[in-house]
Formats: sequence, structure tokens, C-alpha cells
Amino acid sequence: MTEVGLRTEEFQVNMGPHHPSTHGVCRLLLTMDGEKVVKVEPYIGYLHRSIEKICENRTYHQCIPILDPFEYVTALSCNYVFALSAERLAQIEVPERAEFLRVIMLELNRIASHLIFFGTTAMDIGALTPFLYGLREREMIMDLFEMTCGQRLTYNYIRIGGVSKDILPAFVPKCRETINIIKDKVDEYEALLNGNPIWKARTIGIGPLSGEKAIAFGASGPILRASGVKYDLRRDDPYSIYDRFEFDIPTRQNGDVFDRYVLRLEEIRQSIRIIGQALDGIPEGDFKAKVSLKFKPPAGEAYTRIENSRGEMGVYLISDGTEKPVRVKTRGGSYNHLQLIPEIATDCLIADLVAIFASFDIIMPEVDR
Amino acid sequence: MTLALMQPVELSPTFLWIQHLIEAIGIGGMWSIVITYAILAVVTFGVLALLALFLVWWERKFAGHIQQRFGPMMTGWHGWYQTIMDAVKLLQKEDILVVTRDRMVFFWAPIIAFVAAFAAYIVIPFGNGIIVADLNIGILYIIAITTFTIISLLMAGWGSNNKYALLGGMRSAAQVVSYEVPMVASILTVVLFAGSLSMVDIVDSQSGWFYNWNIFRLPFGPIAFITYIIAATAEANRTPFDIPEAEQELVAGFNIEYSGMQFAMFFLAEFVNMFTVSAIATTLFLGGWTGVLLPSWMWFLGKTFAVVALLMLFRWTFPRLRVDQLMEFSWKYLVPITFANLILAGWMKYAGWYW
Amino acid sequence: MSDSSNVIKDIFVGLKELILGMGITGKHLGRHAVTLQYPVEKMEMPERSRGIVVLLSDKETGGLNCTSCMLCMRACPTAAIRIEAPRDENKKRQLKSFVVDNTICCFCGLCEEACNFSAIKMAPKYEFSTWTREELIWDKDKLQEMGRDVDYVDTRKKKPAKAAAAAPKADAKAEPKAEAKVEPKPEPKPEPKVEPKVEDAKPHPGADGDSKENEEK
Repeated sequence: MTEVGLRTEEFQVNMGPHHPSTHGVCRLLLTMDGEKVVKVEPYIGYLHRSIEKICENRTYHQCIPILDPFEYVTALSCNYVFALSAERLAQIEVPERAEFLRVIMLELNRIASHLIFFGTTAMDIGALTPFLYGLREREMIMDLFEMTCGQRLTYNYIRIGGVSKDILPAFVPKCRETINIIKDKVDEYEALLNGNPIWKARTIGIGPLSGEKAIAFGASGPILRASGVKYDLRRDDPYSIYDRFEFDIPTRQNGDVFDRYVLRLEEIRQSIRIIGQALDGIPEGDFKAKVSLKFKPPAGEAYTRIENSRGEMGVYLISDGTEKPVRVKTRGGSYNHLQLIPEIATDCLIADLVAIFASFDIIMPEVDR
Repeated sequence: MTLALMQPVELSPTFLWIQHLIEAIGIGGMWSIVITYAILAVVTFGVLALLALFLVWWERKFAGHIQQRFGPMMTGWHGWYQTIMDAVKLLQKEDILVVTRDRMVFFWAPIIAFVAAFAAYIVIPFGNGIIVADLNIGILYIIAITTFTIISLLMAGWGSNNKYALLGGMRSAAQVVSYEVPMVASILTVVLFAGSLSMVDIVDSQSGWFYNWNIFRLPFGPIAFITYIIAATAEANRTPFDIPEAEQELVAGFNIEYSGMQFAMFFLAEFVNMFTVSAIATTLFLGGWTGVLLPSWMWFLGKTFAVVALLMLFRWTFPRLRVDQLMEFSWKYLVPITFANLILAGWMKYAGWYW
Repeated sequence: MSDSSNVIKDIFVGLKELILGMGITGKHLGRHAVTLQYPVEKMEMPERSRGIVVLLSDKETGGLNCTSCMLCMRACPTAAIRIEAPRDENKKRQLKSFVVDNTICCFCGLCEEACNFSAIKMAPKYEFSTWTREELIWDKDKLQEMGRDVDYVDTRKKKPAKAAAAAPKADAKAEPKAEAKVEPKPEPKPEPKVEPKVEDAKPHPGADGDSKENEEK
């Protein structure tokens, strides 16, 4: 914003790896003209743990806990996509009960991830209380996980061929109670924030993303759906038994921060529907197919992708017939979304940049692996 | 001669006994008045320091319970001496002084903030007759003193020799200045009803049953109250107007270069400021110390804490406004509303259609 | 005029929403806190909770259940378990040292799943901070002591005659050999095949530590 006779200079500000906005360690180099952000350059790699290389020296069963922290907020999806890839390579038939249990756990994990999104986005925009409300509900979900598999964050629950442990009899009623409570709480969150004029002024119209641009950058998940593109891998490329459940795919039109936020709350409701239907129909049977400890899939390649809460998560598995994979390439949605930030967040104020970054729900372990 | 020229403010009747006591010791004339006022000021300062410590603790407990957790619990019963321990901790921290700072400005900024926060309490009536000095320009004095905080913000930003502190200081100064205007206009509405600037007169104009309170003088009272509360939240740098304190905004604010006790002074000054604006709201709109049955100071404290609770509820419920939205809100919405309110109230009062 | 009436309506709607929002947070003031005061109140850990690795002892005799089959060592993805079990004159493995490096363990539970002899378990215990790293590397005795009060379901198939009689070590060693022949595949492998695998293969990273120990042996 220079006027005739007034010389201004752009300066660089480092939004350093340690952020108060809690999305992991990502360095953003901002070039600013006064209050406006002119250019954003993300620098990544602070959370690189060479997970893919480590997996090349492990057996297939050992790869699953190694891939847990690939995206630790939805660790079950990481377990699952790898197990699915290995199952596709080796043509393993997963028992019904295991499929139902997998779907219930995956959707619970999706709800937990969206609750974290809700809390951290609200906190970045300034409302400090919803963070604790979201985490309070997430605690209930984590109690369910701890009851079943023993851990609250890195589950190591899904195995090649099924799940590792059967659910306890107390799981089903407790799960129903949890999803009923969360359903009411989501209404409360919307009442707290959606109509709030300050929230609307901070989120409506901020960082709009058009559908074409989203597709061009390979965005997926809620970001794509908030821009109007109705694409959900659970419908368009179904895996597991999702084609048996009835649920909607919500979409929104504008693709701004408000739409992404409302869409994810709506997705929580749809996940609750799926879990309700799944809980009603769990069949008896095995919870794991018999897979040898020395699992050697036939030589070949398989790329499997699932609909994670952050977009498309995929594993490209190359096997040469031995018990260790040759290459495990992981694909996470946040890697593509981070590249959208410099496109969207130019010519906005820092406060808007923080809001946009929060609404994209980027998790750095998925970017850096 | 000096006594005649000075014309000191009349001591409130409740404190005359202090002056008599001092005269009985043998110090007479001007000095007895000066010493009485000095004693009253020190006592006020002490009471307010304790109140500030209590408010910090209360805010943490309040925030905790809103978030369904407990807040401080380890230091004493429900953590009552947590603030004292925090103050002790801050006292033992090293004062990190930037070499290139502007020494005088850097040194005096927290002191001015602290003094300006406390100096406003001279004219606030804590109870029936419990007021240090009933200036006949009471509320105008308070407005003048609270503008000193702006100077201290700018001094802090400038003296730190840090471009982000300077930007932060300028932003907060701009915020405070632009919210002074609607605040003063709301206050003037009340002054219109009371017919005097003196705080004691304003409280007296609301005596009687509680429907005499200024907040119930429809339709101007509630509007003035709401705009005053909003402007007061911005004056006190609290959410939703807390750009200077927010960590999520990069430009961190004027007090980033301060550490240890100097930081504590800014922090305590902010809480005292919050209590000041609540006390003014109580006095102007909620009837001050008037009330039945209980002693007057209890009513005053109760009402003020209710307003403080309202401000705390604002902080823990609402998100933060962006800087340009903040300024837009003040100049485009609050200023027209408050001025319209003031003009209409004045017109109706002086046309005789109002009491 | 429609503009200004819109503005006034917006103001009122906005104020109403703000007050509703404050009502929601204000309601929480009346609810009890959901947090636990940790050092004083502790949570009941579920029985499947995966805490530290412990070695389980036989409920009657008190000896370790471990038969040095090395399955847990091979299952561990991070090489946190190191076992030394040389063969004695009867070609049976005697457990010489069993070290779990808690600084590397990722608490995945694969060792517990691999074990067929109810010898190793992830117990629901969790407070083990120490001042030095060396104190977190636990040997057999410490692991056994940690496992003494852990409740477990003994899944070994005991032959009733042998369970009543015999000394602890002989008991623990005699059974798995019988079981190895009785149980179907794929889990346990017959003894002779185990030996060459362990010497050749270096399945784990941090192989420096492993190779050093092998050299010392």
C-alpha cells in the first residue's frame, strides 16, 4: 500500500518452527508489506523421521507400529492403509467381524481428529475455551480405544488380516453412550460459535479456495468438499464395507474458513451415523484371519488409498516376495495442502493467515514423515 | 497564605477522625491534611494490590471452571496463594535488559502504567462516604488518568528498540485511543442524567430503590451500559480486543522485552485497570454502593465483581477480533451509536420529557 | 432505509448470539470438573493397557516362564529386547540375560502377542521416570520383579503330571519342547531351525549394540 512520496519496504518475518499455533513444526517465511502478507514460503523437514526407510528393514508385521506415528492424530488410518495394501497384495480375505470392528474404530478416530481440529482452530482464532471442550470429548473416545487395544494415541490395533484383539463386551454400550454424548456436544459447539458475529467476521470470506484450484493441487478430503467438489473415497472408491452403510457426503460451496469448519462438524455427525449402524450389526466370528508370522506376499505392487480425516491417505507397497517390503511409500493429504497455503494466503493479514492455516488442518508428521 | 490558595478538597466525613488523630498528636494545619491523604492513599493502594492478587487468582479459577477443570489447586486451599507464589517467582527472575534500549523510556514505562492504574481510585466511592477525595470533577479526572496508560504503552513499545514491540505498542495505542471516544460518550450520557461530574453526586442520583439505577433509565441507560462495557473491554486490552497479548498474532505486543518484575507491573496494572473500569461501570450504571441490608462496601464490591465476572466471561467465550475489524467496529458502529444516544438523551432531558 | 434496518436487525441478532454463547460457557460454571487431581487421584488403568514390559513368573513356583525362544526379540520393531541364551550341554537354551531398553521400546505390544508361553507382558504400569538413561535399561531381575504383581492369564498348555512334579527350571524347559511338537503351525518353529537364523540375520537396526554383545559372548 504505497502512496506517492511514501516509500515503504517489505520485510521478512519468520513464523518459526516453534509456533503458538499448534500444528507441528513448520517454518513459514513471510514477506510482509506493513500488515499484509505478500508472500509465504513454507520450509518443512523438521519432523522427518525416515519412517519409509525404516520400514524397508522391518517385516510386514513390524511395519505397522512403525507407521503408527506417520500421522499420529489418526494412527488407526495409518495402520489400516498399510494392512489393506498388504492384504491386497496377498489376496487375504478379512473376516466380517474384523471389518465391522475396523470401520467402527476408523470412524471413532475420524471423530477424534475432527475434535482436535475444532479445538485448535477455535484457539487460533482466539476463542480459548472450545479447545478444552473438544479434548474432553476426545478423552471419551480415547477411553474406548484404551479399553480395546491398550493405547491412547499409537494404537497398533489393526493387523494384516483383521484386528489384534477382540472388543470387550462392555465396549458396545459404552460406545453408544459416547456417540450419543458427542452428538449433543456437536450441537453445543455449533451454538457456541457458528452464529457468533465475531467468529463470522473472522471466518466467512477468508481464504476462499475454488474447486478447480483444489483439484489442480491435488487436495482431497474436507478441503475439496468444502470447495464444492463432491468426492469422498468411501463412496467413489469404496474399500472395506463402507458400501453397506448409509451416510451423506456433505459439501459446501465457498471454500472459505467457515465452510471448512462447518463441514468437519457435519462430518462428525455422519461418522456417528456410520458407527451407530455398525454397532447394530456386528456379526460373530473371527477377529483376524490366519496370517503366518513370516508373512510373505507375492512379488508385486499395490497402491491403496483411504479417506482419512485429512484427505486421501495412501500406501504404495512394492514387495519382492520376501518378508520385508522393498518400498513403502506413504502419501498423506497434508503434503499437498501445505502447498496450497502460499497460493491462498497472499494479500491477507497475519491473523487471516493463522486462520487459514488452522482451517486446512495440516499435520506436520504427515508432511515430513 | 498557601492554605488559602490551595483550597484542598474536603475530606470525606468518614475519615475526619484520622485528621483529628493527627492533630491530636501535635501536627497541625496543612500537614495534617497532607498526612491524612497520604495514609488514605497508601491504604487504598494496599487494598487494591490485594484485590489485584485476588482477581488474578479468581480469573484462573473462573477460566478453569468454565473449561471444566479446576485451575490452581496445589498452593493452599484451591490454590489461594498461587498469585503470591507467582509474584515471588517473578521477583527472582533476571531483569533482561536489551543493551540498545532507550533507558529512561524503558525504565519509566511500567512505572507509569502501574501508577496510572492506581491513581484512578482516588475518586471511586467504595461505600457510603468511603472515598479518598470527592473531587467535583470526579469522572473527568478518571478519564484523564486512564489516558496515561496509552503513554505507557507507547513508551514501552519505543523503549524496547524492537520493531515488533513498536508495532505492537502502536497498535494497542491506536486501539485504546479509538475506544476512548465511545467510552467518554457513554459516560457523558450518565453525567447528563446526574447533572454533575462528581462521583458522589452520580451515585446519589441513583439512590432509592434499584429501579433508579442508570441502567434502567430506558432507552438510553441500557444502550450506554452496553457500549460502555464494550469500550471498557477494549480499554483493558481484553479479549475480544486483546491483540497486544495474543500469542497467535505474530506481532507480539509492547511488553515482549520486559521480564521479571517489570513484566509483573504491566500484568498487575492490567488487572487493576480491569477492576477500575468495572468499578466505574458499577458507580455510573449500577447504583454504586446503594443497596439494602448489607453494608455499602459489600454492595459495591459485589456489583463490581459481577461486572468483572462479565468481562471474564467475554474473554473465555469469544474469539478475537482482527485489528482492522476492531478499528472499524469502533469508528463505524460504536461512535455513531453513542453519539446518537448522547444527543437524544440530552434533547429529551432538556426538553423536560425526562426525569 | 432497508440498509439501515438491516444493520439494526444485524446488531440485535448479533447481540443475541453473543449472549447465547456466553450462556453456554456460563452453564459450565455449574458443572463439575472432569479432570483428576493427578498425584493424589489416579485413574484406574484398563486391564489391556500397554505400559512397561515385564517378565511373568509362574504362579506356583515363582520361576520365569520364559523359555528363550527369542520370538519376542524377533518381533520387536525397534530392537528394544536383547536376549542372551546360550545352549547348555543338553542343547537347550538357558536364559542368561534378558534386557529391555525402555528408552527404545515403543510400547507396541508385538512382543506380548508373539509370546506363546505367557512370559512377557505389557503391564498397565506407567510411572518410571529416572534421572539417568542407564536406569531405564532393565535386566531380567528387574523385569521379573516388576512382573510379580501383574495379573495374567496363563495360556501355556500344562500337562497335569508334569505340572505337579519337577523343579522349576526343568518344568519350564520341558514343556515348551513338548508343546513345540504338539502345537500346529505357524507360530512355534522346531528348535534346530531357530539356531542358524539368529546367528546370521541382523533383523534390527542399532545393530552396533547387538554385534557388540554377540562379540562379547
